[in-house]
Amino acid sequence: MEFALNEEQRMFLNMFRDFAVKEIAPRAEDMDHEETLPPDMLQKAANQGFLGATLPETYFGAELDGVSYAMLIETLAGASMSVAVTIAAHVSLVAMSILEHGTEAHKEEWLMPMAAGEVLGGFALTEPDAGSDVMALQTRATLEGEEVVLDGVKTWVTNGGIAGLFLVFARGPEGVEAFLVPRDTPGLTVGYREPTLGLRSATFHTVYLEGCRVKLANRLGEAGGGSVVAQRAMDRMAVALAAAGLGVAADAVEVAAQFATERVQFGVPIAQKQAIQNYVAESFIEIEALRYLVYRTAWLIDQGGDASADVAVAKAFSARVARTVTNRMVQVMGGYGYMEDYPMARKYRDARTLGIVGGPTELQFVRVAQRIFAGRDVEIVP
Amino acid sequence: MDFTFSPEHVALRRMIREFVENEVVPIAAELDREHKVPYEVMRKLGELGLLGVCFPQEYGGMGAGETGYCILMEELGRVCTSTATNVGAHIGIGAMAIYLDGNEEQKRKYLTPLSRGEKFAAFGLTEPGAGSDAAAIRTRAVREGDSWILDGGKVFITNGGYADVVTVMAVTDPALGARGGVTAFIVETDWEGFSVAREEDKMGIRGTSTAELVFEELRVPHENVLGKVGEGFVTFMKSLDMGRLTLGAACLGGAQAALEWAIRWAKTRKQFGAELAHKQSVQWMIANMATEIEALRSLVYRVAWLVDTGRPFTQLAAMCKMYGSEVASRAIDMTLQIHGGLGLTRDFPIERAFRDARIAEIFEGTNEIQRIVIASNIFREHGVRIRP
Amino acid sequence: MKVIVILGRVLDPRGIVINRRRGRIFVNREEYLLQPADRCALETALRIKDGMGADVTALPRGPLPDDDVLRQALAAGVDRAIYIVGRADSPPYDDAAWTKVVAAAVDRLGGADLVLTGATTLDTGQGQLGPRLAEAMGWPQIVGAWTVEAVDGKVQAVLQTGEDYVAVEADMPAVVTVLPGALKLRYPDGVRLVDIYRGVGEIAAALEQWNVADLMDTEALVPLLERRGQDFPPERERGTRLAGTVEEMAQAAADALRQRLRR
Ligand SMILES: Cc1cc2nc3c(=O)[nH]c(=O)nc-3n(C[C@H](O)[C@H](O)[C@H](O)COP(=O)(O)OP(=O)(O)OC[C@H]3O[C@@H](n4cnc5c(N)ncnc54)[C@H](O)[C@@H]3O)c2cc1C
Ligand SMILES: Cc1cc2nc3c(=O)[nH]c(=O)nc-3n(C[C@H](O)[C@H](O)[C@H](O)COP(=O)(O)OP(=O)(O)OC[C@H]3O[C@@H](n4cnc5c(N)ncnc54)[C@H](O)[C@@H]3O)c2cc1C
Repeated sequence: MEFALNEEQRMFLNMFRDFAVKEIAPRAEDMDHEETLPPDMLQKAANQGFLGATLPETYFGAELDGVSYAMLIETLAGASMSVAVTIAAHVSLVAMSILEHGTEAHKEEWLMPMAAGEVLGGFALTEPDAGSDVMALQTRATLEGEEVVLDGVKTWVTNGGIAGLFLVFARGPEGVEAFLVPRDTPGLTVGYREPTLGLRSATFHTVYLEGCRVKLANRLGEAGGGSVVAQRAMDRMAVALAAAGLGVAADAVEVAAQFATERVQFGVPIAQKQAIQNYVAESFIEIEALRYLVYRTAWLIDQGGDASADVAVAKAFSARVARTVTNRMVQVMGGYGYMEDYPMARKYRDARTLGIVGGPTELQFVRVAQRIFAGRDVEIVP
Repeated sequence: MDFTFSPEHVALRRMIREFVENEVVPIAAELDREHKVPYEVMRKLGELGLLGVCFPQEYGGMGAGETGYCILMEELGRVCTSTATNVGAHIGIGAMAIYLDGNEEQKRKYLTPLSRGEKFAAFGLTEPGAGSDAAAIRTRAVREGDSWILDGGKVFITNGGYADVVTVMAVTDPALGARGGVTAFIVETDWEGFSVAREEDKMGIRGTSTAELVFEELRVPHENVLGKVGEGFVTFMKSLDMGRLTLGAACLGGAQAALEWAIRWAKTRKQFGAELAHKQSVQWMIANMATEIEALRSLVYRVAWLVDTGRPFTQLAAMCKMYGSEVASRAIDMTLQIHGGLGLTRDFPIERAFRDARIAEIFEGTNEIQRIVIASNIFREHGVRIRP
Repeated sequence: MKVIVILGRVLDPRGIVINRRRGRIFVNREEYLLQPADRCALETALRIKDGMGADVTALPRGPLPDDDVLRQALAAGVDRAIYIVGRADSPPYDDAAWTKVVAAAVDRLGGADLVLTGATTLDTGQGQLGPRLAEAMGWPQIVGAWTVEAVDGKVQAVLQTGEDYVAVEADMPAVVTVLPGALKLRYPDGVRLVDIYRGVGEIAAALEQWNVADLMDTEALVPLLERRGQDFPPERERGTRLAGTVEEMAQAAADALRQRLRR
């Protein structure tokens, strides 16, 4: 086993940090209050290669390995989880799905503009009645000659406000299928934006498909192969989200530790009180455990094969750590932790979304249980 | 032992429930969204006598005791934490200090209009350098003939932006500090030298005003000294004890609302072919919430009974605040989880309740300070003196 | 001006669950409310008092097991309330029997200019008490009023018939029944509420208790109604799912609402 970062990974990490500190952190609060993500920031991220982070160099991708990519998302999330989730959805949910399941034509058409940040990806799977039970989706895909007509409603589409290309899942004659649907396709309407607790600079929209016509050639993967596309994408995203949780938790401890060093009450810095030490120490322990879990899971994904139970472990643990750590760090900052002009309140709000986005924790538990009981002659269904 | 509410308290709850359903529920989301104080609601509560719920009738109060006040806070906390906070700061700590230690004249002059909602109160203790360590305040009061001149300022003062009366703690003898050197004053906010410097932008309870107050050569007549000169710290600590109990009651209401939402959604939302209510993951959350809420309810009303019957309650009030805030936070967290994505949108009250609930672990003495209070009470009984 | 208002109670429907299949009603929370129509009658009485000055007395609708509705009325502002109790072993009084009790009580109170009560009850759906009382007293009656005003010895009311509103008037003394939902009952006054439920202060003396037997010969109180069993009204129709484009569905929904309003 090798736990040290290699030369390249260390270099990447410095670059990520540089970007997070210089480009994101100073604007994170304003972005959150205004609930926007400035296009120039995404453009700068694209210039750094982040929007094609794990794509091969042939498509102008940065060809990051899984661990480096996890560190990218982690570092971005430390400054702004909204930015991290926006980029992760683009890369892990959409661009990588095209790379993995797309035809040469798909890749030629989309991957370069995606890496360049000219086209952002949105992932349209969830529906009002298909949340945790996502394969209950009801959007229809009707075959008409060489074209497919899509009808249905998608909710919670990350990047709905900015995406140029949607990966849409629908039920066709042979099962669930995935289609690439450009934003300007007639019949596709981007609707309501969810006003959210956290991740306020990212956008989550309802997307309506009404007689939305695309070429059959826009199908990603085989006929009826949509559930595999979805599952792989969700697995990649789960690792990215786990990395985001790690980033937000680790940065929260940094910020709060600094506060505790400077804040004097009862004649001493509050860092000298055991209650504060315990909060920070317990958080640090959890973060360290999470860090290596995330990196390992990212590495595992790179190795190929089915890792869905492993990513469920990482995602569920990350959601819990992010939640409890930010909660404690708000507490360390006392009244200041509750004020929106300090970053902690935002981190707290952002971190809470992790228990739900990308599949609720309870469903991750189901998957972990399925792994544990596999081969033991008992069927585990959600 | 008798664990039933008296008829007047049952009737009071019915009255308040009806009031909050009609007057507060429809505006709660707007208060949060628009950052607005429920001024009209406060006025109406005053007209009905509810802002004096626990004060004697001779001072414009209702005379329903601490139990009545807890009922008010529970019912308000159930529908709107912001409104509960406005009321709590007004009655529970602001006016309470005057009720506990004010002289007859001060009670007539201030408590009566406060009970009727003709005036609003705030409680001014915290300063930039004095949060948990309240004794570290620096606001100075110097005697000048028949007056005191106040210089300094306060931060994070609930109702500070619109209160007519603020009870302010200031140092009158730096040499003595908290032991005899701190005095409480009743300050009217239209006096010269009083100003509001800014209002905070908070994560939750956005329907409250949290203000920074500045005193510049603020002249306070000697008759507005609350309690005895040098004993302000005691006055404030006594008020906070009462405030902590009723904050626990507000948390009880918040937790109860969370449970009700969770039940409603769990029996409505279908995934995997069945309502969420049929999943043990969800059942466990509901069962845990319900159990904690029952424990909290018993604690809150038992402490209210202790207050109403003149028994000591300081340590238990600290438990009410600490346990209550944690129960409420856990409950709303689980409810949010049960709602999935809908728990995260501002179109539903869950999201607001989640942000609102977090404050109770911080203000009126952080939960760490409550643990210190509880532990030092316990160790004192065993002959050990604890310092914070 | 003397106004009498008759008030009853009803089990809070939010505390019960109806199981049609098993033909049973489960009471989860046994709490009682002032009958919704009676609330409006009470508010009507209090507005007349506010407007022109009146002495308002509350009487119970039926032999209630407790005086809670009367205390509520006192807290809200009535001047006097009479809790009338029957013998423990007397048969259940129906509206016909209870009308006689109320008529005797009104006489005992020295008559009245106006008797107000709810036009219907939420639980049994009966609206007999008002009309029966008017008959018994030989007074005119107005049934199902939205608004009520007393002017120059006459009572004026607005009724609703289908889509139209009709203004009617009657000489006082009269009995008027008020529709549920006509008015919003004011909140009680906090101090009055605490005092009346504690039974202290001036207001406590305003609540009296009378016995049916003191008012009349109880042998005369034979109920006309007999309870044979319990059944449920038919289940509410299921909604219809709209189809078509958004515009078509919106149009269909608007049409349906308009239809319903007409009905
Ligand atoms: C910020 C955000 C971004 C998102 N981005 C995207 C996106 O880009 N693309 C996309 O397609 N979707 C997206 N989603 C949707 C997300 O994946 C769903 O919200 C999630 O899967 C949960 O579905 P739901 O909200 O319908 O909750 P529900 O499925 O209704 O679940 C509610 C609760 O019930 C529990 N539950 C459900 N079933 C079971 C069971 N069998 N056993 C035990 N407990 C159960 C859940 O754990 C949860 O606590 C996003 C969501 C959020 C909040
Ligand atoms: C919305 C809001 C409304 C408020 N309203 C009012 C009001 O109306 N009137 C008023 O006077 N004040 C008010 N406050 C102030 C509030 O009471 C203080 O914020 C609170 O007491 C904590 O003080 P602090 O914020 O300075 O935190 P600090 O005191 O700086 O505490 C920081 C952290 O250190 C911990 N800590 C401190 N000392 C110790 C110790 N000895 N041992 C272990 N841990 C310790 C704390 O628990 C906390 O976790 C309000 C605050 C807020 C946020």
